[in-house]
Amino acid sequence: MMKLRNVAVVGFAQAPIVTCDEHRTAQEMLFPEVRRALAQCGVDREAIDYQVAGSADYIDGRPFGFVQALDYMGGWPPKQDLHVEMDAAFAAYYAWLRIQTGDCDTAIVAGYGKTSEGDPERILNLQLDPYYQAVIGLDPTSTAALQASAYMARAGVTDRDLAEGAARSRTAGARNPDAQVRQAATADDLQRTPWAVAPLRRGYVPPLGESAVCLVLAAEGKAEKLCAKPAWIHGVDQRAEMQTLGARDLTRSASTDLATKKALSMAGLTSAREVDLIEVCAANPAEEMILREAMGLTRTGDSGPAINPSGGPLTGHPLMMTGLIRLGEVFRQLAGIVKTHPVAGVRRAIAHATQGHCLQQNLVWVLGSERRWT
Amino acid sequence: MKRPVAVVGVGQTQHSSRRSDVNIPGLVREAIDRALLDAGLEHRDIDAVVIGKAPDMLEGVMQPEQFLVGAVGGHMKPVIRVHTAGSVGASTALTAVTHVASGLFDRVLTVAFEKQSEGNAMWALSPNLPFVAPLVAGAGGYFTPYIRAYIARAGAPPHIGPMIAVNARENAGRNEYAHLREPMTLDDVMQSPMLWDPIRYLETCPSSDGAIALVVASAEQAKKGPRRPAWIKSGASYAEAMWVPGRDQVSPKAGKVCAKAVYDKAGITDPWNQIDVAEIYVPFSWFEAMWLENLGFCEVGQGWKIVDRGEQKFGAHLPINPSGGVLCTNPIGASGMLRVGEAALQVMGRAGAHQVEGAKTALGHAYGGGAQYFSMWIVSSEI
Repeated sequence: MMKLRNVAVVGFAQAPIVTCDEHRTAQEMLFPEVRRALAQCGVDREAIDYQVAGSADYIDGRPFGFVQALDYMGGWPPKQDLHVEMDAAFAAYYAWLRIQTGDCDTAIVAGYGKTSEGDPERILNLQLDPYYQAVIGLDPTSTAALQASAYMARAGVTDRDLAEGAARSRTAGARNPDAQVRQAATADDLQRTPWAVAPLRRGYVPPLGESAVCLVLAAEGKAEKLCAKPAWIHGVDQRAEMQTLGARDLTRSASTDLATKKALSMAGLTSAREVDLIEVCAANPAEEMILREAMGLTRTGDSGPAINPSGGPLTGHPLMMTGLIRLGEVFRQLAGIVKTHPVAGVRRAIAHATQGHCLQQNLVWVLGSERRWT
Repeated sequence: MKRPVAVVGVGQTQHSSRRSDVNIPGLVREAIDRALLDAGLEHRDIDAVVIGKAPDMLEGVMQPEQFLVGAVGGHMKPVIRVHTAGSVGASTALTAVTHVASGLFDRVLTVAFEKQSEGNAMWALSPNLPFVAPLVAGAGGYFTPYIRAYIARAGAPPHIGPMIAVNARENAGRNEYAHLREPMTLDDVMQSPMLWDPIRYLETCPSSDGAIALVVASAEQAKKGPRRPAWIKSGASYAEAMWVPGRDQVSPKAGKVCAKAVYDKAGITDPWNQIDVAEIYVPFSWFEAMWLENLGFCEVGQGWKIVDRGEQKFGAHLPINPSGGVLCTNPIGASGMLRVGEAALQVMGRAGAHQVEGAKTALGHAYGGGAQYFSMWIVSSEI
């Protein structure tokens, strides 16, 4: 393994996830988070070499939505900048790559988008290939239900198992002040909710939510000055799969499997069980089981790393930033600044992000409280 | 950059107003197949794929890279999708460069495309947003006031824009891939309908279907390849805010800062004499004169004089856009990568009939947003 630069997450700010912020635009929601993230680091934007944003024009309901955000991230004097049309977690991945080149040492990463201004069930249909899949009207809940159904058939998972998985997220989310759904619920409660699309019940899928997030990355030498306890990146990898639903085994996440192995290998680890905490970007309990399996963990069960102490996406799923929030949550845990839902003794953690229908593209980070390379 | 990076393969499609012979995957695949063939590589040799295009509304598919993962050979590989408005083609190529420069990837495929015939560019680029006065004037309506400001400041005569358009078309005549290749005269341009005063119909870019792909690789790979590579001496992307008091959209600061960054790193102190050929993003004729100044090829107010003297023509002192440029071929998301890719072809000595003789150092340039996003690279025939 080649020697890489030690890079750490040194700041993270997130607007609490809400159904609809009636009083602010996406950019107005982002601005205070950029300021808060920089304030955590005790610096202003002059100290930041690079900036990357992740958002989608279709969520913004307009072309060039990110151009509006540039002013709020801080666009004067001119800055080295990039925008990816992806979940902001992938923007963080690119910022990390950029820091690896040695061309810059610090970067801010922003994610934003007003989910409430459109109908994501109709909008995300447009992600599917326009010739065969989009035209039959598949929406993201339906594709997730197809995947859940296939998985349940293969793994022998029942409606009750899904209800219990969802209940664990709900119990955890009740402690997270940034979560949107903060009412704990039992498996019995959730199993009584009506179908969203069978076999997924309303209680197994997140409500629409919106937020704004900003994360700060810094290389060794700068990171220690910006943060008392940086969360060092030990390994990272991302993989995409073909979209065509019929061409993939939807009951498994091959890209998560590969990305996890590559990220663990970069981190010098052999198993995801060697970490203490995993924030996994699963928007329903079947996805969580598929991802756990892909990471080499048991489908459920209470041994092994803590999974989604934040409540995970089931308790708050702001499109284009749910993935970056996983990385932010892991940073907060490693930095020891989580007061409401701390995991005791966290030294190593995994943050996972996904985008696309049925877990099409997956990104896995391994982080630790100590530097990876000496 | 941590280590040298080179362009080892270039492939572009035939560009036209409607490529009804291919769908979107077919279009990107045409460019990719040519780039891989050019590099002597196959899909299995590629470590990561970087995709760029302008707003998704142009084709009506959200994040189309997701349905294109199979077509671009991205299955089980890292895939990144870039969108930085008009500059996206160039910033996408630079994103691929970062992948290789990081030391983590040796061979990266990057592709940029637009299939504008799938939708309506005017609609996609000029939405009628709530609480905002509807402009619905397209990019021309947005940029023309700055062209007028340039003309007023520089005291430029009205024939400069038409001269630029005529020269671009003459250049495109030598480029077998270009969309608009029929020659035209100054009179043709001046007789064409006025769209946004002073920009006439024949002074504006077309709406094209097209794609371009590059293979970007480490030095080790580049030395193994079948072709002479184009070495990337420097590259940078800078952006500036929209709403800044005193921001000069005629000669934006981000453009100047970006140019200085790439010149400094490539050891260029006198761009007019040290650069042999430049492919710059000129969607409306007058921008050629404006960017000559913004890029430091001349003093402020002198850009139009270079055009008037014909010093930027093919075979003259500094050929600008020997491919014909954006004025003759404009699949928006690909236009920036066509600029940096054409710059690479020039220093590889493989630009065909529009090859600038002895080109060793070339500039590729693109811009986007409200003249806010700038992305450039300097490529050289020497490592």
